[in-house]
Amino acid sequence: MRPGTDALVLLLAGGIGSRLNILVGHRAKPAVPFGGIYRIIDFSLSNVMNSGLTRVGVLTQYKPLSLMRHIGTGEAWDFTGRTRGVKILPPRTGEKDSDWYQGTADAIRQNIDFIQSNPSEQVLILSGDHIYQMDFAAMLEYHRHKEADITIGMMVVPKSEIHQFGAGIVDTENRIIDWEEKPRVPRTNLASMGIYVFDTDYLLRTLGRDKREIDFGMHIVPRAIGSDRVFAYPFYGYWRDVGTIQSYWETNMDLIPEDSGISPEEWGIRPNPEAEGRPMDRAPARFISGCQVRSSMISAGSVIEGTVINSVLSPGVLVKKGAVVRDSVIFEDSVIGEGAVVDLAICDKRVQVGARAIVGHGEDRDRPNSRYPKHLYTGITLIGKEAVLPEKIRIGRNCIVRPNCRPEDFAGLAALASGESILEE
Amino acid sequence: MLKPSTLAMILAGGRVDELGVLTHYRPKSAVPFGGFARVIDFPLTNLMLSGIELIAILSQYRSYSLINHIGTGAAWDMIGRYRGISILPPFKDYESPHWYRGSADAVYQNLDFVRYHDPEEILVLSGDHVYSMDYRKMIRYHNEQNADLTAAFLEVAPEEASRFGVAEIADDFPEGGRLISYEEKPERPRGRWASLTVLCFRPAVLYEMLRLNQESDSYEFGRDIIPMMMERRLNVHGYKFHGYWGYTRTVDEYWQTSMDLLGPDPKIDMEKWGLRTNLEHRNIRDCQPMKIGGHGVLDNSMVYNGCIVDGTVRNSILFPGVRVERGAEVVDSILFFNNHVREDARLCRVVSDVNTDFGRNCRVGVPGVDTPGNVTVIGWNNRVPDSMVIGSGCTVYPRLAADRWPENHMVDQEVLK
Repeated sequence: MRPGTDALVLLLAGGIGSRLNILVGHRAKPAVPFGGIYRIIDFSLSNVMNSGLTRVGVLTQYKPLSLMRHIGTGEAWDFTGRTRGVKILPPRTGEKDSDWYQGTADAIRQNIDFIQSNPSEQVLILSGDHIYQMDFAAMLEYHRHKEADITIGMMVVPKSEIHQFGAGIVDTENRIIDWEEKPRVPRTNLASMGIYVFDTDYLLRTLGRDKREIDFGMHIVPRAIGSDRVFAYPFYGYWRDVGTIQSYWETNMDLIPEDSGISPEEWGIRPNPEAEGRPMDRAPARFISGCQVRSSMISAGSVIEGTVINSVLSPGVLVKKGAVVRDSVIFEDSVIGEGAVVDLAICDKRVQVGARAIVGHGEDRDRPNSRYPKHLYTGITLIGKEAVLPEKIRIGRNCIVRPNCRPEDFAGLAALASGESILEE
Repeated sequence: MLKPSTLAMILAGGRVDELGVLTHYRPKSAVPFGGFARVIDFPLTNLMLSGIELIAILSQYRSYSLINHIGTGAAWDMIGRYRGISILPPFKDYESPHWYRGSADAVYQNLDFVRYHDPEEILVLSGDHVYSMDYRKMIRYHNEQNADLTAAFLEVAPEEASRFGVAEIADDFPEGGRLISYEEKPERPRGRWASLTVLCFRPAVLYEMLRLNQESDSYEFGRDIIPMMMERRLNVHGYKFHGYWGYTRTVDEYWQTSMDLLGPDPKIDMEKWGLRTNLEHRNIRDCQPMKIGGHGVLDNSMVYNGCIVDGTVRNSILFPGVRVERGAEVVDSILFFNNHVREDARLCRVVSDVNTDFGRNCRVGVPGVDTPGNVTVIGWNNRVPDSMVIGSGCTVYPRLAADRWPENHMVDQEVLK
């Protein structure tokens, strides 16, 4: 990559995202499919591309293969060329350190050599698991204008949600004067989006200081606000952390109405059609006589014979005659059998729902999943990748069916009660 | 197979008058088809799936759209050390001051290119048919028969045969046999096998025939080269093809072939056929999944990513970026990229080229008129005024200035230039 002065981008894509449960059973959170044809990380990568930034390091750790295949050469986001590039930065053993990434700051620290070998004036640090559109060029301009050491992308969130975020208190100049990481009692509603601009020299000095400082929100930022210039960059657009099943489902549903504020195509978000399996080599979606389709987003290659209402379908989904898909998110090449019902569910890739089966049965949506009550508690049922559900099975609310589940794993059960799961042994 | 042994040459140059405004700015092989693809994607996909990886495209008329569509050839896996698609435009040199004067002349003018690759078979294809065929089987037959030419034929009804090159084929083998007779567009056809312009030549013979053909004043494979080879009693075989074959030479044919894409078990199943197109062309790769609103109705239709439908769409095909607003109705129609059908507009039996905007409450085409010659064709980049009424079988030229439109209606069969 060229010695340049434009900002170097480091994308943190290593988190487990375990609250996404079986959706991250075999892939990193940024690689989770979203919005029919996208992966979550497409939003960050496209924002980088559309901001004119051309040098990116992607820090991976947890189950990186799916993510690496998806990023490929980076050509989908115009990161190929003499002076452009996207590099995968996995944890590695070196002369002294041989540790996994301990936290956000630690992950960046372990890649100081990458930062040094790609000279820049600023480093932009992003997380790969948010759905939003943002112009980083404007943020960098703001950072330079404020002569800041650190600039943090921040937005107003309801006070009831602030406990999930780093919270900042700012003065009239937007300088951050106090900081609380995931406060239990909120004093502010200004939340960190996990987007940081650092002056490169400042970052290198700071990371060199104390290796026990492993997290930006917990250690680096609180310490910096006392002595250094730390500013908030206010963001007013649509932004969602899709780290929970509930927010993941809601954000998918937000795609459907015309005026929801989220429009990947208008935002210039680019999927990777060349990714493994070439997910986009599909003919147009076909709508067979007698089908009913309303308020939905449907990808090419799907064939709809039945009913689809208020749902998001990835490429190649087959909804057979008499089947009903409602309030659901269905990934690539899943088949909803004749007369089956899928109601308030997320089906991973190549799930087969047997004829006349019901996924999302009953009205007890508030009975949380017994194993993962904090993951599933609003009625959403999860069906794992390539699971095959037997005919006529009734699966309740807040259920989990593990990936690759076979009909015989139900051992003759006619129903899986709400809150129950079929998990790995 | 490190170096390909077969060279395929696709005749993609021509435009046809019968497709009218759809070929004002593109050759017929680049006409959009199937809701996201182009007609030439069918032979290109067949070549890819047949493992034929060295391809030349002979292109003359308005080739920009075609060149753009082919791109690097990567969409059909045609890049690599020995793989590739070359576009061969006409050129002038000391010997040849001509445009391509016909399909055979186009190949003749590029014999240097052909000889350089020194193929064992030369496959000549037309770029404007919709079909799925494994050329390898035909090439195997050609080699087994040690033929000078093997041509593919489809059985047609006698009353249709006179539109084609027609042959009688001997019942020598299950796959085909020697050609007993060949007539180009005969009034009273003897045979019932119609030529598909899928021709496999022995190179040395082809070179010789093309050289001899230069003495003539007509330079077509069907009209000139095949009859010449029959006359000389060369070893010419007919290979019988039994699959679906779609024509797109006239507006009616184009419309009918498009309708064969629809239904629960369509005659043209692009998914099964493994059709590939270049997703970079018009950047259709960047389209989000199609959205249907709370008032949308979709019935027996095909819709690609990037469309937004809040009206009614029946028996129709929508290319990427088409918008159908609430209250609008699109029936029996094919709308190319980025058409916009505004509130309460009604379209019936319409083929509309790219970027056309149908104003509120307009009426285009007439329901219930389903005889041939009654498809209305709208050229690209038009703005159909609000409440305009356009009859059946009308033609509207591309990019009409606003003041060219009539006050409020066009009668059936009217042409607006």
